[in-house]
This record gives sequence, structure tokens and C-alpha cells, in this order.
Amino acid sequence: MISLQSVSKRYGSKVVVRDVSFEVAEGEVVGFLGPNGAGKTTTLRMISGYITPTFGRIEVAGYDVVQDNISVAKRIGYLPELPPLYDTLSVVGYLRFVAKAKGVTRSEMNLELDRVATACRLGSVFRHEVFKLSKGYRQRLGLAQALIGKPDVLLLDEPTSGLDPGQIQETREVIRSFGKEHTVLLSTHILSEVTRICQRVAIINEGRLLTIDTPAGLQRAAQEANCIVLKVSGQTDNLRTELMAIEGVRQVQVEGPDEHQIFSVECDVEEREGLDAAIARRVSSEWSLHHFERQQPTLENVFLRYVRDTPGESNS
Amino acid sequence: MNGVIAVYQKELALYFRSPIAYFVVSVFLIGTGYFFTHNVLLTNVATMDSTFQNMGIMLTIVCPVISMRLYAGEHSSRTMELLLTLPLKNWQTVLGKFLGAATILLLMTAGTFIDLIPMYLFAEPETTTILSGYLGFVLLGLAYLAIGQFFSVLTKNQIIAALLTVSVLLAFWFIGHLQTFQSSYFWWRLFEYLSFANHFSNFIKGLVRSESVLFYGLVCASFLTMNAGYLGWRR
Repeated sequence: MISLQSVSKRYGSKVVVRDVSFEVAEGEVVGFLGPNGAGKTTTLRMISGYITPTFGRIEVAGYDVVQDNISVAKRIGYLPELPPLYDTLSVVGYLRFVAKAKGVTRSEMNLELDRVATACRLGSVFRHEVFKLSKGYRQRLGLAQALIGKPDVLLLDEPTSGLDPGQIQETREVIRSFGKEHTVLLSTHILSEVTRICQRVAIINEGRLLTIDTPAGLQRAAQEANCIVLKVSGQTDNLRTELMAIEGVRQVQVEGPDEHQIFSVECDVEEREGLDAAIARRVSSEWSLHHFERQQPTLENVFLRYVRDTPGESNS
Repeated sequence: MNGVIAVYQKELALYFRSPIAYFVVSVFLIGTGYFFTHNVLLTNVATMDSTFQNMGIMLTIVCPVISMRLYAGEHSSRTMELLLTLPLKNWQTVLGKFLGAATILLLMTAGTFIDLIPMYLFAEPETTTILSGYLGFVLLGLAYLAIGQFFSVLTKNQIIAALLTVSVLLAFWFIGHLQTFQSSYFWWRLFEYLSFANHFSNFIKGLVRSESVLFYGLVCASFLTMNAGYLGWRR
């Protein structure tokens, strides 16, 4: 349904998105995950047709975003990071404008407005002016305009940003229900959001797509990169060398000591039977071992690992 | 055409739900009333010539205020992203907005009809000259709005859009004065042709010249086309 082929966006000498390629299948909910300034919004803007890519090709439902932007716009519902609302219009007036612009006919108008108002729970504020709405309702109104015309694809840029926990929960429920009928690509920097809503996760940092996989797949990938965390005290001069000498240990990082003269040691190890015991035995024989932990491969760890490992590049 | 109507209706709703339209129309009508009283009632001359001239100059301030928010306002309310990702062609957006602003101009013009009542009650003015003057006024206003709309799309700041428009409109209003310094016939004719004031004065005299109608039409078409072209280019 959505296809990006080697897409880059450059502003002057600054490259904001570089060589991004991925596909989103019909009916799939994909989370676009990355820290602030990673290039998520720019990528969504390119898919929506608001800006054009400097290089590469984007297709939505088989239509080229640059060559056939009207056909693409008819198939897309887009919620930018800040809901694009006309404050002086009424909620119904605003939705009516969007519906007319999307080609909803007069006979279908009331039915369509009722549908999106119900889906986004806007009934109680339907006749209110937009400037009187709370942040949560503004976000829902933004979602409602994106839903008008039953678009095949929904692009949601940080749909829960700035909302309180109750509103976040409600908005997630609404998005989850969208996913049953639409292809959804949503950007966020909240990790728990993608695990709860999305079938696949794309991690982007510094304009590069680092990986795209299911949340479970990413966690599996992390399991392959096992990590053991130790807390030790004593003379650590040769600790790193001793640990590296153990077969199966790939990398050792020693930090500290803290105020209790305890060092923190992080070992990147291979999946090998008996390795935990071998490390524990070796450390205990010469140093005081205070703590031994095999780190759980949470999505947060995976994300941080990918983001941390992104090679820094110049902007030219 | 549905896209044009959608944008047009939205623009009208935005005008009437903000104080700007009411303020601008009120100021214009008070100004016109003052000039009418001064030029007609106090001098006992039953022509609208001088009043039309004053109305034309007032438009150089009023039209930029009407047009400044057309696109710059979309930027400040962060709705530009919505407008450009809806399934609307650039010309539909441009035309819808232009018609919205033109409606305010027409309402403003209609408001001045009240001045004609005492003139028709107590004198016998030339109706054709008055109609011609009004036609010229509306065409002048439409050209001004097209220019203002173009400058509004160039900047995100409404005040800058208005100031740029006023500068250009004043330049084109007074450009005819440069004729005096020209010995070359080409330049003399060019400055005469480019002067908004010269064309408008023909209408005020009761002369509806196709050259003048075409001139205002060309200005509108050129600036609206540039507007649509800019929207496409900025993506």
C-alpha cells in the first residue's frame, strides 16, 4: 500500500532523510520510531505529498506521490504533529470543509460527519467552536478530519503527543480500531505505544532507516546480542583482559568505580552453554562479585542499541 | 468545482468569524461616507468622480488587509499542511481563496450604494457614469486582491504580506507620474499602461475601454497563475 524506494530529502546542504526504503502492506499498522529530529515528520510529509523527495520514489496504492498527488491525496488521511485546525470555525463547520474538499457528496455528508464524530467521540462538542476545545478534543478532531472519506491509508504524526494518560489511552483505542480497516503508519518516540498498537516497527535515526521488524522480531534480534552486567570490586587493572580471554566473550566495557568503589562491567557475549557460570567463576576467583545479571532484551534496549550505534555523519 | 466551493465557503466563514472583515468594511464605509459628504453634499455637484478617486486610493490600504491572511494565516494557524494535502488542485485553492476575498470586496462595494440614495433623491446623476465607475472600482479591487494573495503566499507573516502588497500597489498607482520624465514614446506608453490610476480614471469618466478591462484581467490572471505556480514549486 505504501512503498518508499531510496527516498532522500535534502534542505540545502542538510540531508534530513537519507536513502530510506520500506513497504507497508494493506491493513498493516506500522510504527515509525525514532528520537526527536530523526526524520520521522519529514518522511510522513513526503508520503502525504506536502513536500516532495529530493531523490527516490514514493508510491501510495500504486500512485506516484509526485506525479499523481491528487490520486494519492484521495487515498490518504493525514494528521500532522500539531492538528491543523481553524480555531474560529465550529467543529462541524471544520469537518464539513474537509469533507467537501475530499469530495464527500451532499447526500452522504451528514452520515459521514456522524460516522467520524462517533469514531472519535466528538458528539458532545460537535457544535462548539474549535478554539474552545481542550487539547485532547483538538487531537481527536485532527483524527476525525483524517478519517473523513474512509481513506485507505492513515498517516499519523505523533498522535498522542502532549496528551494526558487518559487521553493517550483513548486515542490509542481509536487508532487500534482504525487499524482494522485502514493501513496505518504512525510516528512516535514512545516505545510502549508501538508495542501496543503496531504490527511492525521501523526505527529511524539521523534520517536513516535502521531496521524494520515486528516488535517480537526486534526482541529476538536483541537476544542474539546477549549482554551480561556485573558489579565487581577490587583491582580491576587486568579484569578486561581476563574476561576477554574467556571463549564466547566478544566485548567488555568497564565503568566506575562508584562511591562504594564498585565497578560496573558490561559484557557482550555469544549464545553459549555454560558461559554465565564460566564468567561468574572467573570473576569470583580474583574479585568480589556483587551482582550478576543477564539483561532482558526489552524493546527499549533494542531501540537504544540501534540509536546509539548509528554512525554519526556530516550533513553534506 | 466542488473543491473551489469548499475553499470559498471556508474562507467566507473565516472572514465573518474574525473581526478583521467587520473592521475593514466599517473603516472603508466610514471613509467613503466622509468623502461622499465632502465631495458631493458640501459642493452640490452630483457626480461620484472625486469619491471614486478617493475610494480607489483607500483600496490600496484596504485590499492588502483583506488579502494578507489568505495564505500567511494558514501558516500561522498551521493549516497549510492540511490545505496542501487535501485532494485539491493548486488552482482550486487559489480560486476559492480569491473568490472569498472578492466577496468581501463586493459586499464593501454594495455598502457604498447607500451614498447614492441622497444623490438620486435630490439630483439627476448620470447613471451610466456611476455604473462605469463602479465597474472600474471592482476590477481595480480584484486586481489588488490578486496581487495581495500572491504576496500572502510568499511569506508566513501577515504584516509583511500586507506591507509588501501596499508597497507594490502604491508603486503601480503612482507609476503614471513617471511619464512626465520620459522623452521616449515607448517608456511613456509603458508607464501609462502600467498605471492603475490611469485605467481607473477612464472608468470614472464613464469610459469602459476594453484595453483597461483587459489590463485588470491580465493582472488578476498573472498573479493568480503565479500564486498557483508557487504552491506547486514550494513542494
